[in-house]
Amino acid sequence: MEETKMIRRHKLAAAFSAAAVASMLFSGITAVPANAAVPSWCGPTKITMGLTDGFGGNNWRLVTTASAQDEIKKCPSVTKLLYADGQGNTTKAISDIKGMVAKGVKALVVFPDAGKAMLPALRAAYRAGVKTVPYRVDPSGVAGKDFDIWIGGNFVNDGKNWGNWIKKNFPKGANILFLSGPAGNSQGTDELKGMKSILTSSTYKFIGESPFEVTNWDAAQTQKVLTAAIAKFPQIDVIVSDFGPVMVSSLGEFAKSDRSIPSLVTSDGNILGCYYLDNVNKAINSDFKLMTVATGNDHVRLAVQHAVARATGGKIPTATKFASPIFEDSETGKPQGVQCNRKIADFTFLSAQMPGVEQQKLLK
Amino acid sequence: MAQRSAAVLSTGPRFQVSKGLVTVLVSTVVLYALCALVAPSSVAPGTIAGTLPFAAILAIAGLGQMLVIQQAGIDLSVAGAISLAAVIVTAVPDGDNSKLGSAVVLALAAALGFGLLNGFLIGFLKLNPIIATLGSNAALYGLVMGISQGIPRSTTPTLMEIVSGVTFGLPNSVYFALVSLGLVVFMLRKTVAGRRFESIGSSATAAATSGLRVKTHQGIAYVWAQLLYCLAGILIAGVISEPNGFMGETYLLTSVAVVVLGGTSLLGGRGLPTATVVAALFLSQLDQFVLALGVSFAVRTLIQAAALAIGVAIYTVNWPLVRSKIQKLLSMSSRGQNQASLPPA
Repeated sequence: MEETKMIRRHKLAAAFSAAAVASMLFSGITAVPANAAVPSWCGPTKITMGLTDGFGGNNWRLVTTASAQDEIKKCPSVTKLLYADGQGNTTKAISDIKGMVAKGVKALVVFPDAGKAMLPALRAAYRAGVKTVPYRVDPSGVAGKDFDIWIGGNFVNDGKNWGNWIKKNFPKGANILFLSGPAGNSQGTDELKGMKSILTSSTYKFIGESPFEVTNWDAAQTQKVLTAAIAKFPQIDVIVSDFGPVMVSSLGEFAKSDRSIPSLVTSDGNILGCYYLDNVNKAINSDFKLMTVATGNDHVRLAVQHAVARATGGKIPTATKFASPIFEDSETGKPQGVQCNRKIADFTFLSAQMPGVEQQKLLK
Repeated sequence: MAQRSAAVLSTGPRFQVSKGLVTVLVSTVVLYALCALVAPSSVAPGTIAGTLPFAAILAIAGLGQMLVIQQAGIDLSVAGAISLAAVIVTAVPDGDNSKLGSAVVLALAAALGFGLLNGFLIGFLKLNPIIATLGSNAALYGLVMGISQGIPRSTTPTLMEIVSGVTFGLPNSVYFALVSLGLVVFMLRKTVAGRRFESIGSSATAAATSGLRVKTHQGIAYVWAQLLYCLAGILIAGVISEPNGFMGETYLLTSVAVVVLGGTSLLGGRGLPTATVVAALFLSQLDQFVLALGVSFAVRTLIQAAALAIGVAIYTVNWPLVRSKIQKLLSMSSRGQNQASLPPA
């Protein structure tokens, strides 16, 4: 009896805390500690701010949205924050932006998943005087005409980081298998450009489909592609992937063929780090090395700073592109060795500024 | 005509092999031979071991879809159903083995609920199956997002062991597919309800006239289908260590494709479960074949589309009619030539 009461109380508490988190997230009450230093990008003008997402339904996006919240909290001039999730529906994403403008937001940060299709809505917001900052996905417009500024990712830079690591660890050349998302996505092509600018010698061979193996960033497709590649290529020295965690379930395929998991050069995720530490010491995995760049949840912070600075009269940051820093390197241990936190869930991203425990609380 | 075919049946072999099964078996053997010749890596033991689990999952989803298609229906909620099952068995236990059992029960209960809903809407309210199952698919995805928030959770170690383990050289998922196949074949061929089910598929009007409960059988097809999708979803969670909320998407069209490739008519009628399962193997191997060929993504998609088109054409085109039309055309043109060669009057 007491137990059921306890459970009930727990459930009630959980419900309350969930409601509290939700209300903090979505009603946009921003509490700032009185003694916190106000950053230079936060000006004096009081504003209402909007944040829209083309698709908000996965852990990466939820952490990213929460990171935006966290950044906005640093600026007391933002009195209210509105959030909308396009749920993968371009029409909804467009009307979300229009809705934000109608509600009188002064600054708007947009993840324009649909790319160019979002441009008219962005332009309309910009022309209505809203400080409009799309980020990460290129909406293909002109800054100062269609929006204030686009804060792009620097995927060429990711490719260069990967290329440098490969060059250092495989000075005599390597067979490289490159996996990316949907066919023709610009992120993958930019990353390849970056890698090729470093790996100029003909001893570095990109095996597999050109420009990259299509996986749609989907675990099942990744597994099929890797199975085929393992059978086809007797020697794979490095696998490069721009979405590390999705590879984990496929890596067992190497053991099935009595081969070591090769070097992985990718983006981080708690599940991947833990998988590495669990498997690196097995006798068969003599070639297993891991290097990651940060998966980029903090990209949104730069976009927020730009939008808030412009709308509140703060100092506009000088950086206009977000370059993911190198996160883990199993070989040099710089900036750090492979990270794994078994106390928190697999789906968290340890590279994000937001602590893993906070991410887990948010995502539960 | 009917008498004649009945007579043929009685003098024929005790176990008849359907045209669908023969076609798809021959195609599969030819495909494997082609693989061995052109892209040997696609039939390497490692590749086959990697392909079989996906083929098994597709086979199970295909069996579910076949039961519905037999009743001249179609089930578009297959994507949501597989995704939901995968999400329930990973998100509910969240890595805790002891909660796996209850999660499986919950997944089956959800499948049963949605099966009954689909069955009621289509069997009893006579809603168009495309519309009804599209609607329930949306509801299924609503649940998927509600439960998971789109966050992929890790599969419990026990489920991973059960599904991805190997027994007598074959991945365990294959045995799940074989047992499902055995069950479907037995139910359809050896039980009274199964025979009624098939005859209703052939002609609902005739079956209704002879007093069979058409609505119940048509509705129950969706229930069995959901249970099979649920199994497919649980298996996919055991194959993929961190399934997301959209694992079922790829099975929407492929589950229909394997049924059609297996020779079951989209207009309903006799279901061909064994041929459906072989077709799932065919389609999965085709996937590996085009991957191993190393052709571009565009060519890969074209090859798959061509295989499907040929497969469908084998059954749906009225070949005797085409042949007779061609013969007529040929004879006409030869007659024309004869006439042309006649001296002018």
